[in-house]
Formats: sequence, C-alpha cells, structure tokens
Amino acid sequence: MTTSRNYTDLFLPISAWLTGFDTTELQATGMTATYYATITTKNTASCIDDFFAQAELVLQEGGGDEDKTNSLIASQLFPTSCYNNLAQNIITMWYTGEWAPDVNAAPSLAEAHNISPNAYVQGLMWTAASTHPPGAKQPGYGSWADPPIGPPVDAPLTSISNAR
Amino acid sequence: MSQHYQAPAPRRRQQLFRPDEPLHGCGLITSLDSLRSHLQTAIEIEHSTIPTYLTTLYTINPITNAFAYQTIQSVVMEEMLHMTLAANIMNAIGGHPAVNTNDFIPEYPTYLPHSDDAFLVPLQKFCKDTVDVFLKIEKPAHKFVPPEFNNYKTIGQFYKAVKYGLRYWDHVTPGGIFTGDKSLQVTCEQYYGGGGKLTAVYSLSDAVLAINEIVGQGEGMDGTIEDPDQVFFGEDVEYAHYYKFNEIRHERRYRPEDTANCPPTGRRVHVDWDAAINMHPNPKMKDYPVGSPLYNKTLDFNQSYMRLLTCIHDAFNGQPDLLMKAVPLMYDLKYKALDLLNLPLGNGEMAGPSFEYVAI
Amino acid sequence: MDHEYDVVLVGSGIAGAVIAKTLTQAGKRVLLLEAGLAAGMALSPEPSYANYQRYLETFYSKANKATNGPYPDLPDAQSPDVLQIEAKTPYDEGYLVQNGPLPFASDCLRSPGGTTLHWLGNVPRMLPNDFQMKTLYGQGVDWPISYDDLKPWYEMAEYEIGVSGDVAAQVGPDMDRSNYGDDYVFPMKEIPQSYQDQVWMKNTENLSVSLYGKDYNVTCVSMPQGRNSIPNPAYRKTGIFWNDETKRLELAGDEPGKYEVVGAIWDQNTGNRCEGNASCVPICPVQAKYNALKTLKKSDHSKLDIATQAVVSKLLVNDTTGKLDGIEYKVYANPASPIYTTKVAKGKIYVLAAGALENAKILLSSNAANSSDQVGRNLMDHLVMLMWGLFPEKVYPYRGPGCTTYLPTFRDGEFRKDFAAWISPLDNWGWSWPTFAPGSDVSNGLAAGKFGKALRDSLADTVTRQALLHFECEQAPDPNNRITVSPQYTDLLGNYRPVIQYDASDYMRKSFEAAKKVGDQIFAANGIEDFTDYNPSDADYVTWKNRGYTFWGAGHIVGTHRMGSSPADSVVKPTQQTWDHDNLYLVGCGNMPTLGTSNPTLTMTALTFMAAEAILKQLEA
Ligand SMILES: Cc1cc2nc3c(=O)[nH]c(=O)nc-3n(C[C@H](O)[C@H](O)[C@H](O)COP(=O)(O)OP(=O)(O)OC[C@H]3O[C@@H](n4cnc5c(N)ncnc54)[C@H](O)[C@@H]3O)c2cc1C
Ligand code: SF4
Repeated sequence: MTTSRNYTDLFLPISAWLTGFDTTELQATGMTATYYATITTKNTASCIDDFFAQAELVLQEGGGDEDKTNSLIASQLFPTSCYNNLAQNIITMWYTGEWAPDVNAAPSLAEAHNISPNAYVQGLMWTAASTHPPGAKQPGYGSWADPPIGPPVDAPLTSISNAR
Repeated sequence: MSQHYQAPAPRRRQQLFRPDEPLHGCGLITSLDSLRSHLQTAIEIEHSTIPTYLTTLYTINPITNAFAYQTIQSVVMEEMLHMTLAANIMNAIGGHPAVNTNDFIPEYPTYLPHSDDAFLVPLQKFCKDTVDVFLKIEKPAHKFVPPEFNNYKTIGQFYKAVKYGLRYWDHVTPGGIFTGDKSLQVTCEQYYGGGGKLTAVYSLSDAVLAINEIVGQGEGMDGTIEDPDQVFFGEDVEYAHYYKFNEIRHERRYRPEDTANCPPTGRRVHVDWDAAINMHPNPKMKDYPVGSPLYNKTLDFNQSYMRLLTCIHDAFNGQPDLLMKAVPLMYDLKYKALDLLNLPLGNGEMAGPSFEYVAI
Repeated sequence: MDHEYDVVLVGSGIAGAVIAKTLTQAGKRVLLLEAGLAAGMALSPEPSYANYQRYLETFYSKANKATNGPYPDLPDAQSPDVLQIEAKTPYDEGYLVQNGPLPFASDCLRSPGGTTLHWLGNVPRMLPNDFQMKTLYGQGVDWPISYDDLKPWYEMAEYEIGVSGDVAAQVGPDMDRSNYGDDYVFPMKEIPQSYQDQVWMKNTENLSVSLYGKDYNVTCVSMPQGRNSIPNPAYRKTGIFWNDETKRLELAGDEPGKYEVVGAIWDQNTGNRCEGNASCVPICPVQAKYNALKTLKKSDHSKLDIATQAVVSKLLVNDTTGKLDGIEYKVYANPASPIYTTKVAKGKIYVLAAGALENAKILLSSNAANSSDQVGRNLMDHLVMLMWGLFPEKVYPYRGPGCTTYLPTFRDGEFRKDFAAWISPLDNWGWSWPTFAPGSDVSNGLAAGKFGKALRDSLADTVTRQALLHFECEQAPDPNNRITVSPQYTDLLGNYRPVIQYDASDYMRKSFEAAKKVGDQIFAANGIEDFTDYNPSDADYVTWKNRGYTFWGAGHIVGTHRMGSSPADSVVKPTQQTWDHDNLYLVGCGNMPTLGTSNPTLTMTALTFMAAEAILKQLEA
C-alpha cells in the first residue's frame, strides 16, 4: 500500500520544527531522501497520511509563529501515543541516524544498526553539541586544544519559513 | 593457507628535473622588486589551482571513486606545499607574501595568472572535461622552451624564469639576496601529510631545490626520458601531477615500461565518471537572492575561506606556527563545501563552493 | 609447510608483530599463525585500504560503538565482547564463561593486528616502585627485574610505538626526569592538551585534597601517547637492530632530527598527525594511532610466512625431552563454519603471543608450562571507576584523542599498603562511556518533552559541559582470579572457551572509596555538578562500607602466566622462556607479575623486545 501522496514538501519543514535545525541545515546533510524513504517504509501508509495531514494543519495554524507552532506540535504530533511515535522517531533519526524502533528491536546491541553508515556521520546531535561524529569529519591536528571553530551558532528558526 | 606478503618497498620519488643549465644573465628581470613580484605571482599561480582541484574533489565519493579521489587529493596537498615553498622563497629574499588581499583570489573561471590565456580554469564537478583541464594545467614544458614570466605556456616555463632571476640577482647583488629574516620560514614541523618535503629556504641552493620540487611534482619531465635506466612509473614511484591525472583520464595505471609521451598501459583502475555530484559550474553568491539560505550558506563558506587565507597569510608573515591552525580551518571549509553540494538548486543541479573574496 | 622454521609464532598483535619484525630482520625464518581473517592481514596499499574502509563502514553502521564493533565477529575464533558483560554470574552466553562472583569486564580482539586496532594508545611508563610491591608495600609480588633493567627496553618500545609526549612533564610520585635520563626525549612532541584539559588544569593544578587525614597535592600531566604528532628534532634514534657481534638487540642511531613518522599502512602520507577523529577506541580512521600492523609491515617479508585463519589449539609437548615437538592448529575457510583442517607447525622455538586470555587457554589446553600451577591465575585489569558531571561552563568535549592529560597524584605512596593506587586520566569524550551520551541526551530530552529549538539548545547547553574523570585502580594479583578450561565449554571449532572466576578484593573496594573522596574534592574545585550514578544493576557493582561503586574494565588483560625468579611460583623466567620447556617463550601482558598504574602495553612491548633478544641468543647459541 502506498501513501495517498508524496509528502517530501512537508517532510523538511515539519522536520525543521521538530529538530530545531532549519531546512537548509537539514538538506545539507544530504539525508533527506533516505530519511523520507525510511519513514515511509517503516510505517503504514495510513499512519504517514494521517501524520502529514496533521502536520500540514499544524504548520498552517501555527502560521510561522514559534510559540503557537510549538504548542500545536506538543499537543498534536509529539506525544508518543500519536502516529506510532512518528514525530519522536523523526527527531531521533535526524539527531542520531538511528531508526529507533529498529534499534530497540535488535536482538542484541551488537546487532543494532543505524539507518546507513552515512546516517551516523550526518547525525545532528554532534552539530548541536559543537563537535563532530567520532570517526568522521575530523577537525585536524591540534584543533581540540582550542574551542570549536566559529561561535556555536544557535538555530536560526527564522529561516525555517524560507523553506523551498 | 600460507600466504607470502611482499615487503612493501619504500616509495621512491621520481627524479624529474634535468641538470640545471649553467648560470647566465637574465634579461627578463629588471630589478629585485620585479623578482619579488614574480614570486608573488608564483604564489598566486599555486593557489589558483587549489579551489579548482578541491571543488572537483568534493564532488566525488572517496570510497566509490577511491582512485580519482586519492589522486586529486594528493595533488592538492602538493599544491599547498608548492604555495608554501614559493612563500618561503619570497621570505628568503626579503619579500612579503600576500595571500589575503581582494585580488588574490581569481574569479572563476579564470586563466592561470600571467599565463598566455590559452584555457580557462573552472570550478566544476568531476568529469572528463574537468580532468582535461587539469591535464592542461599540469602540462609538461617542452624541453627547450625558453624561460617566460608572462604569457607562459606552461608553469615550468614560468619557474625556469624565476630560477634564472634568482640566480642572476643573487650573483649581481653584493652579499646576495638571501638575506630575509630566517624566522619567517615555514619548516617541515608545520607542514605534513603530503608527498614531498617542505624545505626552509636560506640560500640560492635551497631555493633551486624548492623550485625543482615544485616543477618536478607538477609537470615532471618533459616528454623525453633522459636516463633510460631510470624507472619513472610503477606503484612504488610517486610521479608528477600530469601523469597522475593522465591515469585517471585513461582509467589505467602506468607501467614501469611506459614512456612519458604515451598514455598509460598498465592495469585498469575503476573510475566512475557518472558518480559525481551534479554541481552547478562556477557558482557565485550573486546567483542567489541576498539573505536567502543558499546565499547565507555560500557567504558562510567564503567567510571560512577568508579566515583560512588570513591564517595562512599570518603564517607566511611572521607566525609560521599558525600554519598548524590552518589545518582545522581547511577541514571546516571542506565540510561547508560538502554541505553546499547537498543543497539542490531546483533544476537538477546542486549548489557548490564559490571561493569568492568577502570581507571578514 | 612441513619444513622447519626457526620460530613458530602465534598471534599478530603488538607482541607478535615485535617478535616477527625483530627476528626476521635478524635473518630468522618465522612462521606466524594468526586466528583472524586473511583480509585483515593485507599490508599493501590497495587491499589494506579496502579492508580498513570496510572496518570503518561497519563502525559507522553500528548503533552501538563498542570496542569490537568495527571488526569481523568470528564464531571460529571468538573475541570477548563488552556488550555481553552482564550483571549476572554464572553467565555463559558470550564467549567468556563468567563464573564470577563478578564478571570480568574487559575485551580484546582476535584479528590481524590484534587489540591495538582498538586500543586507546596511552603509554605512560611504570614507576620504579611498581616493581617492588611486596618489598615496599607488602602487596602482591616483586618483579624479578627492576625498573632500571627495563629502562633501555622502554626506549625501544617508545621508538617502535612512536610515542608523542613531553618527558619533562612526567613528574609525580616516584616519577621525574631521572626515570628517563637527562637527555631523553620521546620521538614526537606532546599531543596538544585539550581545551577541556586546560579548564580542568586551571582549577586542579596544585589543588590540595585530603584523604584519610593526609593531604595530597594534585597535579596534571600531559599523557604520553602512541599517536602521531610533530617529530621531536632532538630525538636521536633511527632504528632497532640485532648486533651480530655483541649478540645484543640495539636501539641505533645518534643523529637528531631523523625520526620518520609512520603513517597508515596503506599510505605513508596518511595519518602523519593525529587528526582529532576522537574515535581512537574503536578505530582510528587515518591510522595516526599506532597499531601492530605498522610493525608487522616492517618485517623482512622474505623471511616471514603468515598463515591466517589458523587457530592454534594445542602445543605438542614431548614428555621425554620436555620440549615442544610442534604446534597444532585448525585452519578454517569460513569463519562461521565448524569445518576445519588440522595442521602441525614445527620450529626450533615456539612463541605464544595470543594475548593473556588465549595464551593461558592454549597452555591449559595442552597441559604445558604449568608445573607451578600458576597458569591462568592472577588475572588482573585496571578497575576503572568513573565519575561524571557537568562543568559550569562549556568545555567542548567529544574532540581530540580520548585522553591528553592525567593526574599522577595517587600512582604511588604509602597508602598502597592499604588500598590500590590509581592513575586518573581526564577523559575528552564526555559521558559516552558510562551513559552512551550524547545519544542518551537526545532520548532523555525527548522523554522530558523537548523538541525543536528547545531540544537543540539543551544539547548545546549540556553535552558541551560534560566532564568525565577516570580512576584506573591497580588490581593486585590474586591466585583465585583465574582462567580455567573445561570440556563442558568449547567453541565452534571444539577449542576451549575461557572460564573465568573473578572478584574485586577489599584492597580494591577500599580504593574506590578513596578515589570517590578525592574525586568529590576535584569536582568541587572545578564547580562540577556530580551526576555519577552507580547502580546495583551495573555489571560490576560492588559495595564497600555500605556504599555502592561501579567499576568498568580497562581492556588491560594482565597476569595469567607471570614471570618470576623461581619455577615454583611463576611460569616464565625474566627472559620470558617458560621454566618448563626451553623451546617455548610466552610474550604479552600475561607475563607481568603486577600491573602498576600504567596502561600495560608499553611495558609489555619493552618486555617483548627483551624476549626477542633472548630468542635470538638462543637461536645463535
Ligand atoms: C578498549 C581498549 C583500550 C586499550 N587501551 C590501551 C591503552 O591506552 N594503553 C595500553 O597500554 N593498553 C591499552 N589496551 C590494552 C592493549 O590493547 C593490549 O595490552 C595489547 O594490545 C595486547 O597486545 P598482544 O599482542 O599481547 O595481544 P593481542 O593484541 O590481543 O593479540 C593477540 C593476537 O593473537 C591472535 N590469536 C589469539 N588466539 C589465537 C589462537 N588460538 N591462534 C592463533 N592466533 C591467535 C589474535 O587474533 C591476535 O592477533 C587497551 C585495550 C582495550 C580493549
Ligand atoms: S583522535 Fe582521531 S586521528 Fe587521533 S588517534 Fe584518535 S582516532 Fe586517530
């Protein structure tokens, strides 16, 4: 069964609100297509349809207003009971590169896998913490003796509305 | 089950340069100042190819296109070495390398600085055309080409002129010209990770060595092999850029028996020409509306680039230890370029690094 | 392979690689038997790069970044797995059979290159007093050799591993310039101390802490490390070679500025400096960190045969001569299949370098070298107690090598009569070890209802302030902490699995209490809010005076076939020849009678060079 339409246009903006990273930052990971494919294969079509229908409403109603949108998300999308916990799974996915239900269901920790090797490398939790994923994007000799390059940027939520 | 492993032979560096011709006068240089300004040109030439090579490098996957990736990467590392060597020569003769000025970065696509303007050097994705340009950049000088400062055909020609100029002015200047402050030299402590050795320049012979290293790594020999016993190619020989690129272009390694003016005939290597990110060629900030996400990201990239150049400038002008701080800035720049290459333009192409001067 | 070798060697970890390199360079013919996969033995550029990239991809792909994660799991030659260390004993679902009462918490790696593929690479030397624990403190045993005996061999080991560090900074209890000699420098300059270290140091250097009524002055020292940095122009050594005339192994060269950084096995230009990948455990992507394949690659390969996928099962002891007649090994084609062929290798001398667990296991399986009944006993590790908390300011962890600074204050002192000494590395990787941060910070944030900017901000605020302090406590030798074998427990090839009996004595438990008291004072001086949480459900949770502590394994598996001055209570002589069989040598951390507060590999490597000299002498006699 397939979803009633393709939601890639909504996937990025709602991901931006869920993660606190703007759509450009999310796209810059190069993971958008992989992650969209992940949520659609790991959930039923009706769950996806329902989630995005609700997400669209939330975005419309919120009208770009930060507090309003956040409180709508908190009540309509975020609770674990909603849409099979899809919202939180999306957040975990962008932050860690894991599809949480798969990792939790793995027979052992050693057999728990990330969505792809690159999903790990592009995990946004490292960016949020002003560092890089261990073993990738190495910062170069001696870099650790100084604070990270550039002031740690706070998420400019303003540009979320610039979503293409 | 027993397996024999061959002792890996130490890598040999190809001896690429011919013996130097005897000292003679050089009518091309009118003053020590003009010599210095030509060394500034040398730094600019060496720099000008780096954004080109880097951009192309970042459009391919280091694992699926491992051969091309490693080859281009090794060339970039050596270009950085050359730029540093040129700065060392400049400092050795009391000049001041400048790498942070607004005219330092060429506007891509560009002709090589002070060349005969025969071809343009672009910022574009990995493809056969791009590698053809690389081959033109690194094309060996013909054996008997005259030294040439301006309108040179090959970089080798240019350096030949520099070499003559250094010799001449060191000869005619009482006390010689290698009187620069020794503490300005960047040494091998601060530079690592590429083929070739960074030599500090304190004398004419150091400078000649440095130029030979630059030209040797770049173009290598000039189409004929002077010493028939010498092995020029093979897995354990590091050879000049032109030949490295030619291996990519022909998807084959050279064999030890191959000659310099023929294409490589060794074993095939895998080059995936189609697996490059489809970057829009020669991107510019002005392509995007001011303040748009793409504009901001590109600006951010260029600011990092300027920070890097500033760091290198300071390293070349009194604080050689700063060159170590340049490495983290280089990595930062790389990750920002890769971010840009993930951003779609909406027409099937991707954004990319623009390498433009911005004030910081 | 029926012809005779000078030496048949088991294992290609650092101990095996040092033997292979040293003996083949001295012209001896060596057969190396390695249990791991052929692919991992690739030493030429393209295959070794391809194989290593596979490790790296596997590392990226696994959700849990456990030490053995990147490397192939071989049912035919299993490795212990830290993910299988459970709070319950007896427990036999992993490779180790854990009879307890506490589970043994460290792992090692069966692969070409051995455990150095995933070691951290900290290489402080032991202290002179560490060699006389019995005499000075009434604990454990004395070594049959002194620090001074080992000193020249330490220099060899530091050359081979390629140590970066600052000799002048190595000052602390029983530790100063004289431990090294006036002119001595490490091959490379010290690895820069992290930004985080600098914050620690600002608050901790010369801090006075009190413990059981006594005051101690805490200092911070840069950690010597086996990872590449800037060559020290004052370093004068250029190579290790066998001098045929003097019959000595010599660290040669007396020319400054000649040290050549050893890059990745696939490309000498890669990994010339530590690039700050912050993943040394379990894998250094650029091989700036030392691993044993670098040493193995330097062997004279015309003298070296390597058999991979060859699992040694038994030593063939000739009861009449008391010598070994051969080594039996099982060759598998598919690492997950029980099918194998049995072969026998013969040499003049046999050397086991299979790691402390496997060496003991092979000896016990063969009833060899055990007239002292010490084989398998005195299993030791550093018991690592961790304390974690949040700095008041951002210190930006998760950057750089795992440890760049340590506190030497409790490495030695009269207190060793009473409780174990420890070394305290400052950890650069946040709470990743005890809590799996920052993944757990994401899930905790979600559980607290955070998403969007609030989640991002909370990670930016807390993960950047995470502090972790280690206390690596020196486990004293205890004959009841031991490995045995039993026909009840075998692996897919019918080889024995290690059966482990293990506990933490009062001497150890008291050191946890002491360490926590010191740690509390250091945290207070740094304004660190303590989030340490020792939980009865932790695998190695112990109590002492009604308080609970958790320790973790350090990966320092030591002491299962110790060296001594008498055949009555030790397995090998100081030459590391077994007392019982004069053509059998053991190398590795199993030989160490006590552990000290140093990560053991440097000391073990020094010992291994000693053994290599002894073997060459015996071959030439
Ligand atoms: C996470 C971790 C971090 C560490 N960090 C440090 C540190 O910072 N500093 C330090 O000093 N030490 C550290 N160590 C310890 C260090 O890694 C070991 O002491 C060292 O690598 C042991 O070397 P080895 O050659 O004796 O044994 P190993 O490296 O374990 O090698 C044994 C070899 O024998 C082979 N083998 C095993 N059994 C058989 C068999 N039956 N037949 C054939 N071959 C066999 C194996 O495949 C392997 O190649 C760490 C360990 C771990 C786990
Ligand atoms: S910090 Fe990174 S580069 Fe340095 S040794 Fe560790 S893994 Fe290798």
